Amino acid sequence: MIEEPRVGVFVCHCGLNIAGAIDVKKVVEYAKTLPYVADAKEYVFMCSAPGQGLIKEDIKKCDLNRVVVAACSPGMHEATFRASIAEAGLNPYLLEMANIREQCSWVYLDKQKATETAKDLIRMAVAKARLLEALEELRVSVEPTSLVLGGGVAGLRASLDLAERGYRVHLVEKLPTLGGRAARLGKLAHVDIRGADVVGSLISAVTSNLNVTVHVNSELVDLEGSVGTFRAKIRTAPRFVNEKCTLCGECFHICPIEVPNEYEFGLSKRKAIYLPFKEAYPRISVIDPEACTRCGECVKVCEPGAIILDQKGEEVDVAAGAITLATGFQPYEPPEGEYGYRRSEKVLTLFQLERLLDEDGPTGGELKLAGSTPRSLAFIMCVGSLNTTESAHPYCSRMCCASSLKNMLRIKERYPETEIYAIYKDIRTYGRGDEELYERTTERLVKFIRFEAPPKVKLHSDRVDIEVYDTTLQEDLLIPADAVVLAVGMSPSADLDKVRAVVKTGCGPEGFLREAHLKLRPVEAPADGIFLAGSVTSPKNIVESVMAGGATAAKTAALFAKKEVKIEPIIAEVNEEICSGCAICIAMCPYGAISRKEKGQKKVAQVDKALCKACGTCVAACPSGAMQQAGFKDIQVMAQVVALSEKRGG
Amino acid sequence: MSDQFEPKIVLFACNWCTYAAIDLAGTSRMKYPPNFRVIKVMCSGRVDPQFILEAFRNGADGVLVAGCHPGDCHYIEGNVKTLRRMALLRRIVESLGIEKERLRLEWISAAEAAKFVKVAHEMVEQIKALGPLKPSVQVRV
Amino acid sequence: MEKPKIAMYWCSSCGGCEEATLDIAEKILDLANLVDIVLWPVAFDFKEEDVEKLPDESITASLINGGVRLTENEHMVKLLRKKSKIIVAYGACSAWGGVPGLLNLYGEEELFSCVYDEVPTLENPEKVRPQRSTKVDDVELKLPDVLPRLLPIDRVVAVDYYVPGCPPTAEVTWRAVEALLSDNLPPRGSVIGASGKALCDECPLNETKPDKVLIQDLKRPHEVIPDPEKCLLAQGLLCLGPATRGGCQALCVKARMPCTGCFGPLDRVTDYGAKAASFLASIIDFQDEESIEKVIDRLPDPVGTFYRYTLASSSLGGRARRNKP
Repeated sequence: MIEEPRVGVFVCHCGLNIAGAIDVKKVVEYAKTLPYVADAKEYVFMCSAPGQGLIKEDIKKCDLNRVVVAACSPGMHEATFRASIAEAGLNPYLLEMANIREQCSWVYLDKQKATETAKDLIRMAVAKARLLEALEELRVSVEPTSLVLGGGVAGLRASLDLAERGYRVHLVEKLPTLGGRAARLGKLAHVDIRGADVVGSLISAVTSNLNVTVHVNSELVDLEGSVGTFRAKIRTAPRFVNEKCTLCGECFHICPIEVPNEYEFGLSKRKAIYLPFKEAYPRISVIDPEACTRCGECVKVCEPGAIILDQKGEEVDVAAGAITLATGFQPYEPPEGEYGYRRSEKVLTLFQLERLLDEDGPTGGELKLAGSTPRSLAFIMCVGSLNTTESAHPYCSRMCCASSLKNMLRIKERYPETEIYAIYKDIRTYGRGDEELYERTTERLVKFIRFEAPPKVKLHSDRVDIEVYDTTLQEDLLIPADAVVLAVGMSPSADLDKVRAVVKTGCGPEGFLREAHLKLRPVEAPADGIFLAGSVTSPKNIVESVMAGGATAAKTAALFAKKEVKIEPIIAEVNEEICSGCAICIAMCPYGAISRKEKGQKKVAQVDKALCKACGTCVAACPSGAMQQAGFKDIQVMAQVVALSEKRGG
Repeated sequence: MSDQFEPKIVLFACNWCTYAAIDLAGTSRMKYPPNFRVIKVMCSGRVDPQFILEAFRNGADGVLVAGCHPGDCHYIEGNVKTLRRMALLRRIVESLGIEKERLRLEWISAAEAAKFVKVAHEMVEQIKALGPLKPSVQVRV
Repeated sequence: MEKPKIAMYWCSSCGGCEEATLDIAEKILDLANLVDIVLWPVAFDFKEEDVEKLPDESITASLINGGVRLTENEHMVKLLRKKSKIIVAYGACSAWGGVPGLLNLYGEEELFSCVYDEVPTLENPEKVRPQRSTKVDDVELKLPDVLPRLLPIDRVVAVDYYVPGCPPTAEVTWRAVEALLSDNLPPRGSVIGASGKALCDECPLNETKPDKVLIQDLKRPHEVIPDPEKCLLAQGLLCLGPATRGGCQALCVKARMPCTGCFGPLDRVTDYGAKAASFLASIIDFQDEESIEKVIDRLPDPVGTFYRYTLASSSLGGRARRNKP
């Protein structure tokens, strides 16, 4: 060290929390005997204004250049004391804390032993403190552009809120249209407006805002950098039709290829060239490259010449300060045969039912299955949720009860003669207006049957029989129904692995993305600058997804408003005088922060300061001690280890 | 002997998981024997085997290295490197005549205060039974 | 002007360092002209009493090889310290204990039992053991005592410089001698004659490393014929080059033998074996305990591998002693 270390030790009583279990006076006296300690003081509450004042005053009076605060966990007040000493003119990183509360006074019964432990901990802290060096916080400019992945309700809300705030947004959607799942729902619960129309108003606002650049048919293929300075690569697949398209429909007519229409969940077919749905954005046809045989018939009939069969995709590089992941969910897909799924036209999912009831759907909104309206309809609820079957998720999917009940009511209103059975494990109508839905459904004489053991579905040519043990009646029931609706829940999106490979964020045990803190930070990923909106983290209904989208926009805006992010300076650094360029460190870094560079004729390692997250894994692996971590250098940590053996003072 | 002997155990704790768990044990006023000297690192991946051997040299009767569960590392996979290093170090330490109970690797998440306390009790008991470690430190003639 | 006095002495040594000194070949004649050799048991007939007669600190530099295992070694090292301005630990054994330092894994009884009772080539039916003293006619003959451990010489006296290697190469030796005879001595306590960086810095194969050096298996040199154009470590051979001081021109690696670490640790390293084990374990490319253990199983003797030259100077110095109640 260039200057002679003069360490000040400040021991906090924390009221009786520390002072009641440790002999603070003895500890202070002991601290004074330690090498390099210029002064030691005690105070009732060191974090209080007078306590901090004591530290600042002592720094000046005793010419201190290092500070040890022996008190609560650094998790509580490290930031407080760093700011304090900075006010007194010391670099904030010349502070070391000794945790003598959570890890000493609160856990050790014997006062004498607790006092001895506190002395040891302070001795170790002083040994490290005297080797601490001033560190400058790195500041990185934040690019005030957001990258939003996912064009469903959550992503749309996030994009709109940010754009209205004045920030630029790149909205990336993998399908050829915006809208997501909500656009494929019929009339929504409580608002009585079609999903596509509700989403359509969002889409309209987003796409008319000049701050938003929409990339449909696109995916994020590469992401480098970190908060404030992300560098994203967006790849847009060719749609083979350009904006000259007038949607005249001639190409749809002439195309010889038919495939199941995924936007109608397989209930009808579409051509290889198609428009996803009426409210799709952009309102341009698109060619499905896997179905298309390149026969060229559509080109012949396209008057505006909008079809370009050899259109190439493109890649753009985008700089962004923050990323929002709003890639949604996928409906639970029952294994074939589960409740008769895929084995009969009479068994459909809730999502398919929504299409049937939608005026724009394959039956024009008529509840018709194989040409006729079912006289009885059984809803099997909780499909894929609540561990009802072996392949089901353990969790509740939240939205299916309200959705199912809404549809039951609608069907009863239009088809009063249709018998409806609701076969459920649980009814969770927690949202606003949902309990009334339940009451009205019971008033309309929908029959509710509760099960524990999952019902058995027997398919016949003219009907479906459902065998279920009703736990309320405590009887086995046999329900003959014309059709069965499976109220399927929500599964994590199948694409999530692909997304995570690029955006490197963790997922929880159920396969959804994990947030930084379930209660306090529900829309943030653990890594700075990455936000999570909507059902990508857990099942949510539209209201909850839209709220989350808005929350991520607020978080993103808060980040952008700061204009700069401070990066903790405790990062890894290479001593080029010692580094042999052996490259062992490179494989250690999960962030790709380390690379080799030429230094004259030789090679040395180098660390990208913006990427280094300060874990220190490369430091422990470095075979020559050339790589060190600021604030956790070998000599600093070693000093704590060696301090273990030094003699105890008084 | 075991009544008087109080083992000193150096505990390398990762900031995000184990250190938080030890704090939680404190906040919850759990009790465990006063034998631990915690050294905080940002990640268990920072723990250099040199620290462990120096700890034994400097009076530690035991060393506990603890971090996040595999798959949960705050820095993605620092703990995997710790696992690899400890696997090799364990064999070296045993060849050097140090009983294997004295060097322990545990995965303790931020919520697992109870697990930490259990491990703490266990380790202290085991090392008390083994007695103090007196490595023959550089003999000066 | 009087020529500077130089002494060269061997403690528990294999003799290789003596050979190495002679490796400087013709330069030895230059050396003989430059200096006055006052002690060199392998080549000259000076006795201990000749050294004792010298004034204190009259020897400019004493180069000592071999580790301290016998009381005689200890005695001579201390004598030379008294009589010399500069003490140089020459070679791995005096610097860190060297290969004989591995004996610190065993106790004295185990050592004697092995040498005098168990070795297969032994013929010792009466189980004769060396005695500390014996009377022949009326004369008492004495043998030096064996110390409980082998020690590098810096555990016995203050050492001014270290020359690494097992043995040091001719080039390293000459560079060290030049440094010692210069007007500008390097800082006390430093390693002289060698590089300040690890071997990879001067290894011709360093640039052939892939971006990430990771291994899924460990190969012993007799199991493979290495590709001469690729980094040996990247091929799965246990090359300790990254952890070992350079200066030897990567002679072993150029002959396709992976480095075993004879030039010892870099300056910032406390314990060579721990650091070498750390880097090697870190690059085992598996996440689960079972697969990791399987790779480590390929190493029959981790202590011998990682501490081959440095056990005596390591953190624990050898096998820990139990505290017997």
